[in-house]
Amino acid sequence: MSGQSDPASPTEMATGRSNPGEGGTLAFEGLGVSRAFGATQALDSVDFDLRPGEIHALVGENGAGKSTLAKIVAGTLRADSGTLRLFGEPYSPRRRSDGSAAGVAHVRQQLSLVRGLTVAQNIELGRPRRAGTTAWRPWPRVFNSSEARAEVERLAAELDLSVPADRIVDDLPLAVRQQAEILISLAWGARLLILDEPSSALGPLETEALITLCLRLRDEGTPIIYISHRLPELAELADRLTVLRQGRVVTAGTDVAAADLRRIAELMIGDISLLEVERPTLEPGELRLEAGGLHLAAEHGPGLRDVSLRVRAGEIVGVVGVAGNGQEELAGVLTGQLRPDAGVVRIDGIEVTGSPAAAIGAGVALLPEDRTAGLAADFTLAENLIARRVADAPFARLGVRLRAAVRRHARALAERFDVRPPEPGLRAGSLSGGNQQKLMAAREMERNPAVLVAAGPTKGLDPHAGRAIRDRCFEAAGLGGAVVIISADLDEVAELAQRVVVLSGGRVTDRFDIEEMTSARLGAVMAGLAWDPSSEVGRSPAGSGAPRATP
Amino acid sequence: MSTTAGDATPVGPGGDNDGALRADTAFERATIGLGISLLAVVGALALGAIILAGSGQNPLTAYGAIIVGSFGDWFAIGETLARAAPLAVVGIGAAIALRAGVITIGAQGQLIAGSLGALCAGFVLRDVPAGVALPLAAVAGALFGMVWVLIPALLRAHLNVNEILSTLLFNEFAFLLLAYLLNGPLKEPRAITPKSEPLPDSVVLGDLVASTRLHAGVLAVVVLVALFGLWTRSTMGYRYDLFGENPRLAHSLGIPGRRIILNSLLISGALAGLAGWLQAAGLLQRLFVDIAEEIGFFGLVVAMLGGARPLGILAAALLVGALQAGGLHMQATEGIPASLSDVIQALILLGFAVRYAPQIAAIARRAVRSISETLGAVASWGRTANRAAGSGKGPGGS
Repeated sequence: MSGQSDPASPTEMATGRSNPGEGGTLAFEGLGVSRAFGATQALDSVDFDLRPGEIHALVGENGAGKSTLAKIVAGTLRADSGTLRLFGEPYSPRRRSDGSAAGVAHVRQQLSLVRGLTVAQNIELGRPRRAGTTAWRPWPRVFNSSEARAEVERLAAELDLSVPADRIVDDLPLAVRQQAEILISLAWGARLLILDEPSSALGPLETEALITLCLRLRDEGTPIIYISHRLPELAELADRLTVLRQGRVVTAGTDVAAADLRRIAELMIGDISLLEVERPTLEPGELRLEAGGLHLAAEHGPGLRDVSLRVRAGEIVGVVGVAGNGQEELAGVLTGQLRPDAGVVRIDGIEVTGSPAAAIGAGVALLPEDRTAGLAADFTLAENLIARRVADAPFARLGVRLRAAVRRHARALAERFDVRPPEPGLRAGSLSGGNQQKLMAAREMERNPAVLVAAGPTKGLDPHAGRAIRDRCFEAAGLGGAVVIISADLDEVAELAQRVVVLSGGRVTDRFDIEEMTSARLGAVMAGLAWDPSSEVGRSPAGSGAPRATP
Repeated sequence: MSTTAGDATPVGPGGDNDGALRADTAFERATIGLGISLLAVVGALALGAIILAGSGQNPLTAYGAIIVGSFGDWFAIGETLARAAPLAVVGIGAAIALRAGVITIGAQGQLIAGSLGALCAGFVLRDVPAGVALPLAAVAGALFGMVWVLIPALLRAHLNVNEILSTLLFNEFAFLLLAYLLNGPLKEPRAITPKSEPLPDSVVLGDLVASTRLHAGVLAVVVLVALFGLWTRSTMGYRYDLFGENPRLAHSLGIPGRRIILNSLLISGALAGLAGWLQAAGLLQRLFVDIAEEIGFFGLVVAMLGGARPLGILAAALLVGALQAGGLHMQATEGIPASLSDVIQALILLGFAVRYAPQIAAIARRAVRSISETLGAVASWGRTANRAAGSGKGPGGS
């Protein structure tokens, strides 16, 4: 994306307490850090610094580059260019163990504790060698369980945590496991902590405890890079805040106390333009998909809390939200694959709650976000394309598949959906990502679906394949289907949907027509702030106000 | 990813890296597999020759003895076929489970249970005409095999208890039960070694060829391979395979996973039980403590070597059967110790198994591809390659 169209220059925001020199050397400093993955520029000349004794929040949408930056600081990834300094020293980690040896600990969403072991065993396992002791030793380190246990207990007491040393980590609640991982990082000599979306799977009380812990660590001198998109929590916690969008710094090191959170939320989202897509005009018909009062307790994440959704024929509804706020669960429940704890899903008046077979019978099509869940990679194209109707009349007789008919059908269908190459005998896994997505679409949308649930349908596709899939979604709606697009990619939703539903923490926090979608509103509700329309006075809706230049 | 106008850089077709098509045709897979197998078996034979020479044997006469003992005369061929028969039957059962993503190593125990079933049927049906008693004994064998896998199957389907562990333990139960029965209630009174009374004539499978051990039960194998061929082409078999290949996809298509796990284990149990019936009513005509030999485990080897496909299993069963028959012959005529014979057999099997090692397959695929490219390749490969090049230059974005 172009950098020139940034709505706000970094200088627009108050830049907080600057002058890093005054408190001594910076804990971390990265200048001009860039990193590309293939054709995608994940980080584009990013400057970022962390002062000793502060919590610096890193915020941004999915794919903004937060985790890439975190991994570069931790040593897991190497920057393509740019210079790093850690506590004043030049710092060029080549792998994660270099980062931990230098005192950088990265606590990720997927915790890295070893399952099946106790906390004390985890503290001993993988303890980095201290600098200077990298010499090869002929004897293995002996595990001293009482010493490790004492270490856990001492640290837990110091930090005022109730982390049991002798419990198997699998048996501990997620919040305690997270505390254990932080504790272990400190035991391993962490001088700088990176917490990557630490609160995403925590309840309110656990989040409070986490905040307390972070503040205590900060006050005791461990600076923290805190990655999150939950602005209310950052207001309590962070000293400064940097917003990333599409790999660039939008606002650097803003003083959180002085910042306008709504403005920050808006900056995270960036400009949403509605003018680029030619959207077919679709007249909503009768109600096809009706889901009411859905509740679902999930093991990780918030699950679903009283979610309702009604979609009519010819309607495309976008469900947006930061990843992990119940989208996956909603897709599962709407297609009958997950049975909700409460609530009903009806398609054309027929109840399909919790029954994939009934949902398929009622005409549900699903494009799952995880393509590996939607294709049999080792099956041929023909075998994949027949999956929904393997026993149907022309393709099987007396329970035996008729291969010639299946192959003919596969070739015709693959050509219709532009799967390349349309060779029925080819392994599905050998297709490119875009063609796999088209193959899945061909199987699911062969016969006009009553309801299409598409999760991130154009994610990771090149523009050509993305357009093809978008057209299929429009076509499904045009033929009278009810279409639900579930995506964390706002552009994708803006291009497809007529109505938008916002999921946050497993709840529907806002609903509006696409014309009412503004960055400010979306940014606020997705970040968990309440939306007050009056704050938007004088601001025009995105797309109608100052659209980006059109060709 | 949306394309913003005014952006200086044109947005081309994004996926350069994923545009290229991996030429993964069935023909290519088959030729590569065959090529790897041949090379690896030659390598294994060479390694075996070194071991044989190192222990003072002549490798050439030893390998000659394997061939003579497996295909040298009618008796040898009969031995090979009689050994291959239960292996193929167990292999088919294991393959159905494998294709459904279930790994059972309980065939050993189910086979013992099946042989007990055949024996019980024989005692009950002593005076019934053979035309009725024979098939009933086979059914009894299959039923006993199914019963023996029922508990592990239920545990796996409903409580997700690891089927590898549970079926392995049930093998022990079966072996101990058989040892107890043959030393106690079922022991032939005057015998010194533990063995049962002979099965009554009404349930014994007759010899197909005089002066060999080739019994009529081998014909059942032909039927079972054909049935398995039908299974792989049936809609039901498709659903089982789909579940094995991608359980999440199967679930989303409304395919009931639990039932598939349960049924595939029961089918494999029934087939292992049938193999036990073949051993009891065909080859040995009474029960010995080691009636199962290692057929249960080698049946799994056969299923995997044969790629879980009907003709592959047939071929693999013949290979293992021939190696076992030839290995025994080698022991007898060349004075090669049984342990060394086992090592040679295992080496050759390993040679065949190498084709399933993914890294080796990948290396071979690269080698084959570079060869095929330099030689201009077979016409079909050229066609696919052209198409791949064409799709790489497909229409761009905006």
